[in-house]
Amino acid sequence: MSCILTIEKLSKSFGRVAAVHDLSFEVSQDEILGIIGPNGAGKTTLFNLIAGEIKPESGKIMFNGTDVTSAQTFRRCRMGIARTYQIPRPFVNMTVLENVLVGAVYGGGMGSKASRKKCEEVLEKTGLFSKRNAFAESLPLLDRKRLELTKALATGPTLLLIDEVAGGLTESEVEEVLKIIHSLRRDGITILWVEHIMMAMKRGPDRLLVMDFGEKLAYGNPDEVLDSEEVHKVYLGDDED
Amino acid sequence: MSSNRIRILLAALLLIALATLPFWATRYMVSILLLICLYMTLASMWNLLAGYSGLISLGQQMFIGIGGYSLAVLSMYHGLPIFLSVFLGGVISVLLAVLISLPIFRMKGVYFAIGTWIIAEALGICFSNWGYVRYGMGLFIQPAYRLSMSTIYYAALVLCIGSIALIYLLLRSNLGLALMAIRDDDRASEAIGVNIFRCKFTCFLLSAFITGMTAGVLYLNTIFIQPFEAFGIGWTVKLLFIVIIGGLGTVAGPIVGAAVFVVLQQYLSEYVGFNLIIFGTITISVIFFTPKGIVGTFQEKLGFEIFPIRRR
Ligand SMILES: Nc1ncnc2c1ncn2[C@@H]1O[C@H](COP(=O)(O)OP(=O)(O)O)[C@@H](O)[C@H]1O
Ligand SMILES: [Mg+2]
Repeated sequence: MSCILTIEKLSKSFGRVAAVHDLSFEVSQDEILGIIGPNGAGKTTLFNLIAGEIKPESGKIMFNGTDVTSAQTFRRCRMGIARTYQIPRPFVNMTVLENVLVGAVYGGGMGSKASRKKCEEVLEKTGLFSKRNAFAESLPLLDRKRLELTKALATGPTLLLIDEVAGGLTESEVEEVLKIIHSLRRDGITILWVEHIMMAMKRGPDRLLVMDFGEKLAYGNPDEVLDSEEVHKVYLGDDED
Repeated sequence: MSSNRIRILLAALLLIALATLPFWATRYMVSILLLICLYMTLASMWNLLAGYSGLISLGQQMFIGIGGYSLAVLSMYHGLPIFLSVFLGGVISVLLAVLISLPIFRMKGVYFAIGTWIIAEALGICFSNWGYVRYGMGLFIQPAYRLSMSTIYYAALVLCIGSIALIYLLLRSNLGLALMAIRDDDRASEAIGVNIFRCKFTCFLLSAFITGMTAGVLYLNTIFIQPFEAFGIGWTVKLLFIVIIGGLGTVAGPIVGAAVFVVLQQYLSEYVGFNLIIFGTITISVIFFTPKGIVGTFQEKLGFEIFPIRRR
């Protein structure tokens, strides 16, 4: 299997807080890598670094064999890296369809016909098609999370960074998210997935990365990792599942 | 009739009235509408920056000065046809915009505003110390004497209608889509592929081009150009007034705002010195009581857009 993303000794701190510290790992083509860790472990910061929204103090990010450490955010998106935000950031004064179109037209570099078609396709996939003409401002949280995913998918990514889409969902809704994510993998999208819900993390990812204080605590097969001693210690008292 | 057909009918009637104006209206009325057209165009270009691109420019007068002086120098010193000189005034404004974009786009928000203002002031000082354009004494643009009022009026009308159409099409284009996204959340827009700099830069150049050309037509009407007036901040203050009372970030705002401004200016011209206080008071009241301006407030109340830009 070839390697789509390589993180090499990546570090970023905010003042005294080392949000990501000397972190290294690799992601293979077509895999789903789950990332867990307590609040403040640096998961969102890691995504911000990969997407290019913040720059690391040191370390390297390789995407498909190219060094993208200093590439601008919009360029990384056009190269195939898309992300969702843990706290949704919809374009509130635009309709759902317009929100998604931005992704297809700019991130996906598609013409007007192709972008329309792409939008309809991804809206169907995430179940937002019937609400395409609603203003994003009027969406409840759940639909805002769906919109995050839809916008990201519209850019036609090969690497998708998902930051807690399933938080606050009912069990059957989580099932639905799992289904969508597995189907994305079948479409050839590699996925990094941050989530707190243990059920989802046991069944979704091929491998699991556990972060704590910005560092790699454990890495490997989900079942083994979740049963390991260190992980139990870190999660002791944390609101698991 | 559907609202769309009413809209088209009204627009057609208005267009015919405006196109035939010199044949049936008084000279005074033509001169007023000429001013409304020019101010509307200039205000739309300021609105394109402030209302749609998040660029608060306090330096639009640099393009007004450059447009006016290009017209004067090219048509008088070099004997170029008048309207070619007007067009080249727009081109030279774009060149200036490209030149200053390197430092100016590194500045954000208030710094961008002040930066553009300083450049305009500096240009005013340069021109007032430049013998070629007769220092601060100014120039009479003699070739403009040959033009009739209605010729200038038609030039203004073409610019005015052209710029409304341009802005409307621009907002419905992909660039308009990106501008809306940037306005809502610039970081999120960049994360899904929008090149923010390029979008803003495009608008900046477009605004410079049209402002420069409009200034040419404006000085065909004024005939006399003088550096401290042409490069003065007073221009942007007027545009700000027009856009704010009309409705920031609406296509129709500058149209309504320009009409109100020109008419008010006619009545207030007797009270020199007071008129700025009155304009200032109106602007501040609008900001406090109806921050969306005349057009923005009406659109909100009636749920009706004069220039709809939604995608379905
Ligand atoms: N923009 C920021 N400014 C200052 N501190 C930040 C910023 N973003 C994150 N942090 C800090 O970095 C650490 C990691 O945060 P984050 O990446 O959001 O963790 P997680 O997503 O794993 O909960 C936290 O201590 C957080 O307070
Ligand atoms: Mg987080």
